[in-house]
Amino acid sequence: MLYKILGKNEYEDFLSDLISKNEVIGPKKKDGAYSDFVAIKDPKEIDTDYQKTTLSPAKKILFPSTEDLVAFKISDTIEAEGIVEYEQKVLLGINAWDINGMNFLDRFFTTDFIDENYLAKRKALTVIGTDSVPTENNFAHHMNSEYAIEGFDLYFSDLGDRFFVRAATEKGNRLIEDFPRFLDTSEDDFKEFNRYMEDYRAKFKLNINMKNFIDNFESIYDKEQLWQKLAEKCYSCGSCNLTCPTCFCFNVKDDINLDLKTGQKLREWDSCMIPEYGLVAGDHNFRPDKENRLKQRYKCKLITFKQKYGKNSCVGCGRCIEACLAKINIAEDINTIMKEVSI
Amino acid sequence: MVLEAEKKGKKKTIYTPDMATITEISDLTPTEKQFTIQIDDQETREAFRFQPGQFVELTVFGLGEAPFSIPSSPNNRESFELCVRDIGNVSNALHKMAPGSKVGIRGPYGNGYFPHEKMKGNNVVIIAGGIGMAPVRSLLKYILEDRQSYKDFSLIYGCVDPANILYKDEMQQLKQRDDIEIKMTVDNPDADWKEAVGVCTNLIGDLKYSPEDTFIVVCGPPIMYKFVILELDDRSYKPENIFLSLERRMECGVGKCNHCHIGNKLVCVDGPVFSLWEIRNLKEAI
Repeated sequence: MLYKILGKNEYEDFLSDLISKNEVIGPKKKDGAYSDFVAIKDPKEIDTDYQKTTLSPAKKILFPSTEDLVAFKISDTIEAEGIVEYEQKVLLGINAWDINGMNFLDRFFTTDFIDENYLAKRKALTVIGTDSVPTENNFAHHMNSEYAIEGFDLYFSDLGDRFFVRAATEKGNRLIEDFPRFLDTSEDDFKEFNRYMEDYRAKFKLNINMKNFIDNFESIYDKEQLWQKLAEKCYSCGSCNLTCPTCFCFNVKDDINLDLKTGQKLREWDSCMIPEYGLVAGDHNFRPDKENRLKQRYKCKLITFKQKYGKNSCVGCGRCIEACLAKINIAEDINTIMKEVSI
Repeated sequence: MVLEAEKKGKKKTIYTPDMATITEISDLTPTEKQFTIQIDDQETREAFRFQPGQFVELTVFGLGEAPFSIPSSPNNRESFELCVRDIGNVSNALHKMAPGSKVGIRGPYGNGYFPHEKMKGNNVVIIAGGIGMAPVRSLLKYILEDRQSYKDFSLIYGCVDPANILYKDEMQQLKQRDDIEIKMTVDNPDADWKEAVGVCTNLIGDLKYSPEDTFIVVCGPPIMYKFVILELDDRSYKPENIFLSLERRMECGVGKCNHCHIGNKLVCVDGPVFSLWEIRNLKEAI
């Protein structure tokens, strides 16, 4: 890691310089409490205090809701070619938990088989992170996601009169070299950074208990009444999946164009909460009930990848809590599950 | 910081099927057809090697893609067969196709296949129910082509009606051999039926093999697994030597779309064949 300092008075120039040379995607104020990550043309458009975005900006760029995978042409014979689309972009202002969510997707899409559609976009993305204020539903600190140690090229922490800047990659280093007004760090800067992180972590108020959660989850797995109660109000709408920064399930579909000669194989986001998810030919459904589906979602978020990668796929952003029409709350449900087995 | 201009690249990705031709189609039952498929490109065809129990993703262009296990012998390198029941979008379209039609093939997929190497020197029992015959037929053929490497070999095959029996002629021929024991049963016998009546679970009791040197392979509908396993347990067959092929909605085949996940396992990547021991430690597997 390379550590640098950038004065607050230099920051706007840095952004102007960045915007003049690149396509920069950053947070812009939308309606009410929500901001959205869009193309930024002027540093003044950037909403530096943004708190909420409907989607994770990384997932929006790297794993779009629909994406063409293969183009085919039907004549006397059929030709099929893979499509890999990407653009060089700079993602500015992504916070730590969304970087951690992206890190999960990075690992997922390059495990077993390499997904070039994802990887090409990821390689073309420059990531500049900065902290944002957690909402009251955020529990990233319980998911080790309130702080990012990798996945970004540069990370800016606001120390008041200056930024404490971490560069994790060569790409980040180049950005610093291209703007020669970054300064070296002193011992005091590190002390100040520690104080800053302590204050920042104190902003996460939501409290959950996840001690031995994997074993406890296993022990309540077959308690049907508990799961019926937790899923009672679920509409099976899938809002939780759509807003999740780490949900990656998709359908693969073929689509033929109006000329009936060309078409594409594409993917579109799917949701494990809707009944069709577990359906196979012959109308057998492996997860016919909403309580099965909620249980499997919690398992996927809190157990499966802890076992596979050593880290939960849930980053604790709280988006699913805010998106849920039935007010199903994963943080409360974690506590309910823990209470079931408390001594 | 000079960044490259927008790029649009075309290449072969994990989602790009290889072009293949349906060379032969034959009726197996009123609802199942057998398709012989040859991959067009010679180099790709030669590189296409599969293990018994693996599957392919087949594309009917413009309509979609579906997973099918390969019922033919891995020793046939020129082409492979698929046994397809007319039941979904892709299989409906396949049933309407004629020889010479083009399809897309991705695969073979599945790191979990029937462990034929481990089975060598042991007795092997295959228990198939209905269309569950398709995934195990590859193993059946593979063992018969190298019969001396295994001890005793039995097939128990159950169907609803005699009309549903797959590979009927082949079964009759196999019955003439003395190095495989074939037991068939149906739920609804017709006037000509001379074999057992009822579920295939009933025939497990006739097996005289010791659990010490016996491998058992099971493939059929989910309900069949529950009862077959109870019966095998009663006879102390070892869960680590019992292998089951699982069905799920495998849309991508490469461990990405997640539809086939069971806990921390993916049926497409870690399966589709799992040992009973593995399945017992996976909630909701069967």
